[in-house]
Amino acid sequence: MSEAELFLLAQVIITGLLAGAVYGLSACGLNLIVGVMGIVNMAHGEQLMIGAFVTFGVFTLLGTKSPLILFAAIPVTFVLGMLIQKYLLEPMMGSLEVGTLLLTFGLSVFLSTGFVFLFTANYRSVHIFGGSLLLGELAFPMSRVATAGIAAAITVAIYLFLKKHRLGKAIRATSQNADAARGCGIDVRRIRILSFGLGSAMAGAAGAMVSTSYAFNPDIGQTFILKTFAAITLGGMGSFVGGLVGALLLGLAEALAAWYMTAQIAEMVAYVVLIAVLLVHPTGLMGARRR
Amino acid sequence: MVVPAVPAAVIVVFAVLPFFADAYKVSFFLLMFMYLTLAGSWNIITGYAGYLALGHAAFFGIGAYTSAILATRFAIPWPVGALTGGVSAAICAAIMGGICLRLRHIFFAIATLAFSEAIRVIVLSWDKVTGGGFGISIPPEPYLAPFYYGMFGCAVGTVAMTYRLARSDFGLQLLAIREDEDAAETVGIDTTRSKIIAFVLSSVLCGIAGGIYAPYITYVEPISVFSVLITTQLIVMAIFGGTGTVWGPVIGVAVLGTLQEIFWANFPYFHRVLFGALIVVTILFMPQGLIELLKRRGVLPRSRSI
Repeated sequence: MSEAELFLLAQVIITGLLAGAVYGLSACGLNLIVGVMGIVNMAHGEQLMIGAFVTFGVFTLLGTKSPLILFAAIPVTFVLGMLIQKYLLEPMMGSLEVGTLLLTFGLSVFLSTGFVFLFTANYRSVHIFGGSLLLGELAFPMSRVATAGIAAAITVAIYLFLKKHRLGKAIRATSQNADAARGCGIDVRRIRILSFGLGSAMAGAAGAMVSTSYAFNPDIGQTFILKTFAAITLGGMGSFVGGLVGALLLGLAEALAAWYMTAQIAEMVAYVVLIAVLLVHPTGLMGARRR
Repeated sequence: MVVPAVPAAVIVVFAVLPFFADAYKVSFFLLMFMYLTLAGSWNIITGYAGYLALGHAAFFGIGAYTSAILATRFAIPWPVGALTGGVSAAICAAIMGGICLRLRHIFFAIATLAFSEAIRVIVLSWDKVTGGGFGISIPPEPYLAPFYYGMFGCAVGTVAMTYRLARSDFGLQLLAIREDEDAAETVGIDTTRSKIIAFVLSSVLCGIAGGIYAPYITYVEPISVFSVLITTQLIVMAIFGGTGTVWGPVIGVAVLGTLQEIFWANFPYFHRVLFGALIVVTILFMPQGLIELLKRRGVLPRSRSI
């Protein structure tokens, strides 16, 4: 392999990992929810879409290019997530799983079509980062680098919160065994609401990152929920670290497919990964508890 | 066997409908039968076996494309194309079920969604055969009635199949899987096999319905026949009427199909938003559907075959 080819490969790999860091935010958020609740939130992609719209709204209203606006989506989707858990999903706890899944599916349809109804299906984007980051021979769009950096920082912060903080420990305890957690005096209902809010906020934050580097419309939830599913299936369902590992691998695989094959094939990577993992090793790389 | 009077009378009325109704009404009922076929088929895997399938639009789309390709490239009469569409949908369901149904709920729901998206992308990119985003135009047929009877047959077939299922041991096995899969396995039910059979059963008539819809509408394109809207519609209709019952989807389609027809004219997009909200509201407040209310009030008897 010549030096030029090596540089190209490095460029492709880093580009993939940058995208993977943003997927990771969404994937870790969904895995947090799956871990605590044991259910998949089909409306997770719409939380991401709402995050992108909130960012666009703040960007347009304030007209500022400060990266701080990327954080505006977090409180909005956090509260929205808590409300969804408290008023829609809590009453469903203990009933058949299919009902809960259906409910979140209905929510996903309601939110995506509702946003098209209110804001049309036109594509939008948020231009706050310009230029490129140059590293010797390599060049990366500033938007990708900055959003990957912020995404990684948020993911690490939440990981530390789960490891060190009392509430974080309570979330992990609930995720391991809800009955035992209740026995230790943890308010499991409150933990579920908090976890759902946190998971949603991570999706919202991912949406904020996405809005600066991709054009988006209310239908992006669909695209990203499948990427998120592929990432958590690959990494292991319910495992926070697994979500990140799966997301980085997915980003990498997409970048390699886009470079060595075509962009259209890169779009198929998520489905191929999803189906292949389900066939070969359904528990993923890091999840072993559930079938 | 005594044929219940009401369903028999309804069948007779619909069988002679094209002789006295205008084209608009015939088309309207044709689409209602299509929804019934889709909602009733979905009911078998999700209502009876308790596995949320989110990819039934794919079976419909596969049927539609099979029939469209056979009609335009090989000049095969549409009824043959429609039946072939059913076969291709069933083959797809068997492969997909073989992969996904070894897994439990969440994986299955996700995998069906991914499968249907993947099939849509394949149809979109494989433009030499499918026409890509341009779709396929099919020369129009002179008569409406044959399509009507085809779709009518699918709808009656769906209800008859569900009726048979509800009264069979196999139906009970599926209900056992829905309520507690581990327990079902413990008492000796081959759960994977039962689920795959249920999934294939729930795909065949969707494929045929798609295969009839394509020559009826004379044009297929990925965004119309693989649309999430189709999945949403069939789900909302099935759960609104009542899943895991024989007549639930019929009631759901009759009520919501009519409402949709009225709404469609006035609010071309808003009804989609409404359907999403209706799924949430139904699951929260009426999880067993309209049919349960009717049973509770004594309008309908409590029986497994209703």
